[in-house]
Amino acid sequence: MKPPARKRRSFQRRKICVFCADSNLKIDYKDIKTLGHFVTERGKILPRRISGNCAKHQRDITEAIKRARNIALMPFSIVSS
Amino acid sequence: MLFRARRMGYRTHKEERELRRYETIFVTHPDLTEEDHSTLLEKIRSLSATGNGDILKIDDWGIKKLGYEIGKSSRGHFFLMDYLAAPHLVRELERNLRLNDRVLKFMTVKVGDDLAPETAKALKEVRPAEKVNPAGEPSPAGEVPKKDEPKKIPAEGGEGR
Repeated sequence: MKPPARKRRSFQRRKICVFCADSNLKIDYKDIKTLGHFVTERGKILPRRISGNCAKHQRDITEAIKRARNIALMPFSIVSS
Repeated sequence: MLFRARRMGYRTHKEERELRRYETIFVTHPDLTEEDHSTLLEKIRSLSATGNGDILKIDDWGIKKLGYEIGKSSRGHFFLMDYLAAPHLVRELERNLRLNDRVLKFMTVKVGDDLAPETAKALKEVRPAEKVNPAGEPSPAGEVPKKDEPKKIPAEGGEGR
């Protein structure tokens, strides 16, 4: 009997980049609401494999988040007690 | 030669003429009065006027919570300024913001690259058109409602991006 190791690798549907799907969405460093979807609750930027962004939009998102952090619209990190 | 001139702080002839579109966000101390703000804005306006820049709009976002504390203050008064300027004017504006201890933080982003003189002129002229919402989202509940500057000049376009 074969070990079921290969089977255990769960198949996940490929996520589609939200910004590619909807071209009306703009990435802007002033728009913290949108950017908020792409950070963890500790304020870290979500990796692409979680958020499902395409490479281009992930770069834009990253830059926008870093700008927002610079001007204190977003935190660098949220330290929980 | 050009690089050397830049490094030594001289403005090159080309730099002097080119207008670019920038936006500067600056955060002031939340306890400032209305007069403090108007003197600050007046200063910025006069700098821009002498530097041959053109302010398209200045938005007052009101007091917002900061992402992190800056100098023991966890709130700040945000302003967004959208303008056309040559690089030397941006340098001058930033120098002044840096010297001003009422300004907690500032950041300038280039929105549009070298504008051709015609487009720059067109941008200046379309200004008195319709009122445009700030690019920033409407401030969430619990914050001071956004109010525009009394002297606010509406810009023509929304986002430059």
